[in-house]
Amino acid sequence: MEHEDGKREDAEKAVNGSLALDSASLEDLRDVPASMDAFLAGIERRAWRMAEIHLGNRDDGLDAVQDAMLRLVRHYADKPAQEWTPLFWGILRRRIVDLQRRRKVRSIVVGWIGGGHDDDGAELPAWEPADDAPDPSARLQDSQAYGDIVAAVRKLPRRQREAFTFRVMEGLDVAETAEAMGCSDGSVKTHLSRAMHALREHLEAWR
Amino acid sequence: MSQHDHELERRARDLYLRASRDVDPAMAGRLRAARRTALERPSPHSTVRRVLIPASAFAVVALATLMVWQPLGGPSSAPPAVVQAVDATDPSDLPPDADSTDPTLYKDLQFYSWLAYNDSNGQGRSTK
Repeated sequence: MEHEDGKREDAEKAVNGSLALDSASLEDLRDVPASMDAFLAGIERRAWRMAEIHLGNRDDGLDAVQDAMLRLVRHYADKPAQEWTPLFWGILRRRIVDLQRRRKVRSIVVGWIGGGHDDDGAELPAWEPADDAPDPSARLQDSQAYGDIVAAVRKLPRRQREAFTFRVMEGLDVAETAEAMGCSDGSVKTHLSRAMHALREHLEAWR
Repeated sequence: MSQHDHELERRARDLYLRASRDVDPAMAGRLRAARRTALERPSPHSTVRRVLIPASAFAVVALATLMVWQPLGGPSSAPPAVVQAVDATDPSDLPPDADSTDPTLYKDLQFYSWLAYNDSNGQGRSTK
């Protein structure tokens, strides 16, 4: 029971730690977590934001994060805690890709059954899941800037987007990013370089 | 990497971290619930182990018991079935083919039985 309470306290500390995030404290998050609960508590909000950036939908993002948590606990809880970070991001990335592919297939099916064109034969927009929640950036003090960067990141090709979000936004090192993306260190650098080049053009106003 | 790139990276990271901090309470609660669910659900491996290990142990004990008990049963156990080997390739053991055999053979079956009996007895005598 005391052990459980201790774990709960670790998790609460991790949540509180993640609430006080800034770029200076990002390195502190690299501390080895005391338990799986603490690890997930510390990463869950960033993971959801990450999934939301990639999927453009709050509920799909939550589904991806929940599934990634389940898979990490089920398959990798026995691994050393130092390995959880790249493993978790790798699992989440694959879930995001799965959801994107499923969405694409759904759009194609809707197109086949006639949903892709209106009565005049004009093409309708591709199917997108309904998202009735308020704009994710609405609660942010500088929501406009966050909206700009998210919009620019979403325009990137998938691999460049993954490299930028994991390496720059989440702050994984090159090796961790490569493990999460399932590619070599060199590929990460290439994708990141191209992403930075594209973002420089998209975010010209940030100069 | 230029100063502009560093500034872009720093700003993107700050905005992302601040957005993660400012998750609305409803979503924070759903994330917490998702975490609890993930941690409470037992892994399928442990469930399989819980079932398979006792079942395997029981099977081993049952097999060992059977192997020990079987020799002790000895004479009371059923005798092995006697298998009679029949050489189906020997044409003389086959009944005569009704189509190719003389019909008179069937009329005098008693005679041929007697002949076969005497023939076998004669062979038995000659071997003595």
